[in-house]
Amino acid sequence: MRRIVEHPILKAKTARVVKFYFEDKELEALEGETIAAALIANGIDVFGKSERGRPRGFFCAIGKCSSCLMLVDGEPNVRVCITLVKEGMRVQRQLGRSDVA
Amino acid sequence: MMKTQLLVVGGGPAGLCGAIEASRYGVETLIVDEGVELGGQLVKQTHKFFGHEGFFASMRGFEIARRLKNQLNHHVKVMLQTTVVGIYEDVVVLYSREKDHTFEVRADYILLATGASERFIQFENNHLPGVYGAGAVQTLMNQFMVLPGKRFLMIGSGNIGLIVSYQLLQAGAEVAAIVEIVDRVGGYDVHLRKIKRFGVPVLLRHTIKKALGEEKVTGAVVVQVDEKFRPIEGTEKEFAVDVICIATGLTPSVELAAMANVKIEYVPELGGFVPYRDQNMRTNVENIFIAGDLAGIEEATTAMIEGRIAGLTIAQSVVGVDISKEIEALQNELVEFRSGPFSEKVRKGLSRFFPQRTVGFSRQPQTDKGPMGKLRPIIECYENIPCNPCQTSCPAGAIEVPGNINSLPRIDYERCTGCGICVSKCPGLAIFMVQENIEPGFDLVVIPYEMVPLPGKNERVIALDREGKEVCEAQVVKVLRFPDMTNLIYLKVPAGYSDRVRNFRTVKRGNVLVCRCEEVTLEEVERAIELGFTDYEELRRYLRIGMGMCGGRTCRNTVLSILSQKLGKSSEELLKGRFRPPVMPVKFESILRGESNEE
Repeated sequence: MRRIVEHPILKAKTARVVKFYFEDKELEALEGETIAAALIANGIDVFGKSERGRPRGFFCAIGKCSSCLMLVDGEPNVRVCITLVKEGMRVQRQLGRSDVA
Repeated sequence: MMKTQLLVVGGGPAGLCGAIEASRYGVETLIVDEGVELGGQLVKQTHKFFGHEGFFASMRGFEIARRLKNQLNHHVKVMLQTTVVGIYEDVVVLYSREKDHTFEVRADYILLATGASERFIQFENNHLPGVYGAGAVQTLMNQFMVLPGKRFLMIGSGNIGLIVSYQLLQAGAEVAAIVEIVDRVGGYDVHLRKIKRFGVPVLLRHTIKKALGEEKVTGAVVVQVDEKFRPIEGTEKEFAVDVICIATGLTPSVELAAMANVKIEYVPELGGFVPYRDQNMRTNVENIFIAGDLAGIEEATTAMIEGRIAGLTIAQSVVGVDISKEIEALQNELVEFRSGPFSEKVRKGLSRFFPQRTVGFSRQPQTDKGPMGKLRPIIECYENIPCNPCQTSCPAGAIEVPGNINSLPRIDYERCTGCGICVSKCPGLAIFMVQENIEPGFDLVVIPYEMVPLPGKNERVIALDREGKEVCEAQVVKVLRFPDMTNLIYLKVPAGYSDRVRNFRTVKRGNVLVCRCEEVTLEEVERAIELGFTDYEELRRYLRIGMGMCGGRTCRNTVLSILSQKLGKSSEELLKGRFRPPVMPVKFESILRGESNEE
């Protein structure tokens, strides 16, 4: 797990746990966090592959670079760095601009 | 079709301040922001801001965001997770991700505060997951409390690179190095010192050549460069890291401004392409204003002032009242903030749009180190950063930032009481306290400390110098906690060391063995004592302490002394425990071959 539990300035998050699916695997996230944060907390750094087969992850985290596009509940090109994770959500790696990896 | 008097695009420090001022005069305002909460990049800023109290100096960024949100009144509507997708002559089109549909808005005035995006740089494999913008790592770690790796390499030594490196240390990560292509560090010296004290190396005249890894980052190759920034072959160094942070600057997000017919000019000193604007933040398009990083890459304090100027100017037009005095005061505020050496570039860039003025300040640092033997602050702030919380926080009025906030502070040691408040308030963590000869052979050093865990009173620690190098052992004699988490650690150091000690590290207890045979650590023994095991025999049964080959010769006395320290009893009062044969290991074979009296 990559969650920070002890911090000199910030208090550890105590939000409700929600379940979501990444590539059919059930994972846990905290309510109020983005899909990207939830994936990275679960050790997933590769969010998809480009059309030329290069692995892609997130880069800017604030919705500006479009490096983190994923397929969310069947919808392609969702910027997961500024989209909140929701109970039961299905997140898949995206291949190229719209296909599933 | 929605209608609003003012549309603010971007809910960061600039946009929020614009909305606060306009709504204060009753202007109906709509704030649209892409993110999941208001505050822009402030929500991930865990460091204290420079500046003065009027602009939240010495307050942490996320706390400033909260304050600003609370200043919005009922004239303000907010739409989050919403993007402005286009600005047309008569209408602005918004897209709400939550509702998954578009809206049209007609606005009398638009304040664009769209901020900036991270500048990307060229090196091999720069597409790999694990190559992240430094701001992205900051968002993950400080807004969502997720660390995307264990060991980080920072590219760029501007303030963002330095601040994020420090915050990585706070979050428990390791920073392998900071890499800087030019021959000096770009950010404030006080930020640099904060990370140097922890021994993080800074490689000047170096750049990243390559990210290593197939699916994601597993390392990085760094190389030295010549005067023309060309890599010097044979100087490659490899780092085993799992994240490469890019902190090589920001570039204004001008798309919407350009779409709205605002003139865009190339001004490298302001971050590249920036929209034209005047002193009131008005662009060449009558009803469109800009503020914050979009108007030129600076920092949050100037963004807030610019936002306020824009908001007030808009209010003046909408409501028709004369608030030029207020606007002028804020413009003077900006002039003061930008008078220091760090704003030279920005002033040069802005002079393309309108003439720049500056105000004078004192560059004179304090030269004397105060009266020996008295507990007193030593201010290690040499750079004319616009900042004065040391002055405003001092209850004795002993610190002065003469003239204006760009001046270097001075202490009147006669008036100083040694309370330590300035040490805790300084956003640069650049104030320490010293006192010589607190007992024969020992001096005192007071360190501002923002790491976990906090050491305990009487704990022995390793004292570090300004470069993070070990200098001596020290003992914690007092821990002064402050509600804003910059705590003060009072360290007793050997005489003569108070000038060198500027940090410390706690002794790694996981590797401190008490019982060598059974590998029982000091931490385990202390934890057991805290659980309620109060004598040697109990500890022996619980931890197998003293049950190894040496028969307790090494650990018995140590355990007794730990017990004595923890329980406050003398060693004589504690039971020594039992002594059982054999005193030394004896082979069963020898016993079988042995003789007995009863033969």
